[in-house]
Amino acid sequence: MSKKDQKIPVQEPLNLEQIMNENISADMFEIVSNTTIQDAQIEGEAIGFFKDAWLRFKQNKAAIVGAVIIIAIVFMAIFGPMFSKHGYRDQHTSFGALPPRIPILEDFGICDGSIEMDLFEADLETYGDAIMRIKEEYIFTFKGKEIPKVIADVNAYTLREAEDYYFVFGTDDIGRDLFVRLWRGTRISLLIGVVSVIINCIIGVVYGSISGYYGGTIDMILQRITEILGSVPFLVMSILFIMVLGAGVASFILVLVLTGWIGMSRMIRAQFYRYKGYEYVMAARTMGVSDFTIIFRHILPNAIGPIITQATFAVPAAIFSEAFLSYLGLGVQAPEPSIGVLLSEGQKVLTTTPHLTLFPALIVSALMLAFNMFGNGLRDAFDPRMRGL
Amino acid sequence: MTKYIIKRLIAMMITLFIIISLSFFAIRLIPGDIAGEGSSPIIREALIQRYHLDKSLGEQYAIFIKNFLSFDFGESITLYPRRPVFAIIIDKIPLTLQLNLFSLALTIPVGLACGIIAALRKNTIVDHAISTMVVFNVSVPSFIFASILQYIFAYKLGWFPFLLELDSNFSLSKFVSMILPILALSFGGIATITRYMRAELFEALNSEYMLLSKSKGLSQTQSTLRHAIRNSFIPLCNIIIPMFMGLLGGSMVVENIFGIPGIGSLAAGSIQTSDYYLTIAVLFFYSLIGLISMLLVDISYGIVDPRIRMGGKSNE
Repeated sequence: MSKKDQKIPVQEPLNLEQIMNENISADMFEIVSNTTIQDAQIEGEAIGFFKDAWLRFKQNKAAIVGAVIIIAIVFMAIFGPMFSKHGYRDQHTSFGALPPRIPILEDFGICDGSIEMDLFEADLETYGDAIMRIKEEYIFTFKGKEIPKVIADVNAYTLREAEDYYFVFGTDDIGRDLFVRLWRGTRISLLIGVVSVIINCIIGVVYGSISGYYGGTIDMILQRITEILGSVPFLVMSILFIMVLGAGVASFILVLVLTGWIGMSRMIRAQFYRYKGYEYVMAARTMGVSDFTIIFRHILPNAIGPIITQATFAVPAAIFSEAFLSYLGLGVQAPEPSIGVLLSEGQKVLTTTPHLTLFPALIVSALMLAFNMFGNGLRDAFDPRMRGL
Repeated sequence: MTKYIIKRLIAMMITLFIIISLSFFAIRLIPGDIAGEGSSPIIREALIQRYHLDKSLGEQYAIFIKNFLSFDFGESITLYPRRPVFAIIIDKIPLTLQLNLFSLALTIPVGLACGIIAALRKNTIVDHAISTMVVFNVSVPSFIFASILQYIFAYKLGWFPFLLELDSNFSLSKFVSMILPILALSFGGIATITRYMRAELFEALNSEYMLLSKSKGLSQTQSTLRHAIRNSFIPLCNIIIPMFMGLLGGSMVVENIFGIPGIGSLAAGSIQTSDYYLTIAVLFFYSLIGLISMLLVDISYGIVDPRIRMGGKSNE
């Protein structure tokens, strides 16, 4: 009771003079410490978002390896065909299906242009110098007769009088240099992948921002559209479109763009839902900043990490789709090679000329592995909370 | 719940309608004349009769939709001349289904086991090995696995037959010839499940209810088995059913590689021989499976985790 009744006087402005006049003599104070406070001066530069991400990224060995592989493959895709004197369409019909032959390595018996052949011992002489080593001798019984046979490594280059040539990855059945074709194919596949991903990012960002920022009815309508579009299986959509448009680089890109942006737009929309309620956005709005500026200047930069990460993962997915459709006979049309076309061609002659499958398979696997490792590294670097997921 | 299912069904119908429309326009837009340019007037007349080319585009569209909904996809032209498309597809389904179900039967337990081991032994050598395997399997496409397996185990070592045995009855030797395709199809799925399971279980192991169950006196094993693993199954049902769809897609190529006369080879064959009606029917079949599996995911999600049922929307 008492406390409530004791009305606290309405605060009066402090009367400085009164305080000053109160008698506070200097000797009421004593010196505690004579030392001056020494703050360590903050040294070093400020670490921004990208620098911070880079610091984390470079500790991830797998991601660095991935980045190096990507750079190497991209370099070879651009400049690789120049290292060979053969064009990607040059046919050497007499040098068909030659196995790989690499200088230096051939001295160690690896990639020396030899093929294993099952020969009659009587025929050995006709092969002459081409016989490199005899692996096994055995007796083949045919209709009661015993015929001596040998399994020997035969140098296909000597046999075809192509000793002056080095086809590093071998040739296909009409004598085209796989080395040139493979890097050219990588170039096409990468082009399809990167261009489609860039377009997807742009569409996805714009669509997702509008949907997420404005919300309400606009969001509802836009989301129904993506829902319906997204529910058409990719395979169905892509096969139908390529059947109509014909297989080519442009139609591949179009097919990958048709539904590819949906994932990106969903992610961006979620980011906008998260950030648009923040106080700084409200502050910007109060100050009369236009929607356009708020969207692209103030909210979108928050999503730059996830955008880059998702785009990185989308590239191998696009390359995979291209290879996949090539297997179904919807590949980029001859004479232009793509990794998918080379793979599906190689598959048909897997047993006789395995190198036609081996090298494209190696490159496409390395590329996809590298992009995935690189993407994982980026994700961990941009958003350490996601680590290990 | 009923309302929710009805809503999903309506959405499914719209999608189906769009797919059919797309197919219709694809057929019309494909370069070349359906009636055949140089063919004789009689054949021309017959073809026009069969495909109703004399009617207006609207009527043709209506007939097309009606036929599709009654599973009347017309006849194959080049690949299996004059056989009804629907019969061909029905013929091919069992083999593809067999292959995919076997693959799922391998994928799910192996994936779960790897994921659980990796989560329980997080940051040990075992975990790192499994994680490396996951990145590798996710990256390398199934058709490359198929080629490698075929070359090494079928051609070089001769342990398995090179192509699928085309015995109509199911036998042991047929199963043996299916092992390589099943393996090739499974690697990717195993990696996906492992990755999810590892992440989910790891999160569950560090959750507060684990602390609670341990403070109630349960042992680590008991609480892991009864609480953590159970809870981490929930998001898995969201990936396993669409994975079936992914498998079907993947099996298209793998079937081609191993010479399996299933739906996948049918799709590729029809594309390569420009048998458009067959292609479109196969694609329709794929869409149907895709849509049904999506519906199942949505419904099963609502059953497994009732919190989702309430919202009904896939927002946030």
